[in-house]
Amino acid sequence: MLGPFRASAPRLGGLLWKIPWRLSAMQKARQRKRLRAVDHVVAVVDKALATKGITTKSLERWKTEMPTEQEMLPKDKYTIFDRKEKTYRKGIHKLPKWTRVSQRLNPPGF
Amino acid sequence: MTFFRITLVRSAIGLPRKTRDVLKALGIRKRMGTVYHPVSADVAGQIMKIKELVAVSEVEKALTKQEEKAKRTPDAGYYIETRAGEQRELY
Repeated sequence: MLGPFRASAPRLGGLLWKIPWRLSAMQKARQRKRLRAVDHVVAVVDKALATKGITTKSLERWKTEMPTEQEMLPKDKYTIFDRKEKTYRKGIHKLPKWTRVSQRLNPPGF
Repeated sequence: MTFFRITLVRSAIGLPRKTRDVLKALGIRKRMGTVYHPVSADVAGQIMKIKELVAVSEVEKALTKQEEKAKRTPDAGYYIETRAGEQRELY
């Protein structure tokens, strides 16, 4: 019953992926850690440029548009807008490469 | 003159070509690879492109590759009093 070729539901039935619909507490903790890491990088770059008295467009846009980890709602940290879902929300872990992309904003009202 | 110390912490495998090209342009070859770049608007823009993948700090001095290596190499735990060649001359 064990081994690489054992019969299991995903192997016998083709496409059956078991991705849990919600994140675990540990996954959420790591998500917050990653968000803070990005905030830290932006803060370091901002401080370095500010001491030289220069700035750059991408940094300014990020600062005006993006909330920091502390300002974000839990809803936006762990879920993402999806028009096909009944509640218009799905777990952020359904987003491809979700641990290495920034996904902080969602449509207003959703 | 200050520098950005940029270390690749997350791999760019599977990410868009543009993202990987930014890493290439910065001269970062592999994960945990470190490069130094002077603080400027264009380098800042490049860092903003890959901010999810890197750890960045601002430093006064850019270290060479050898100095980076020396920094993370632990102490050998011994020192050489005399070399074998010098000993042989005494006989």
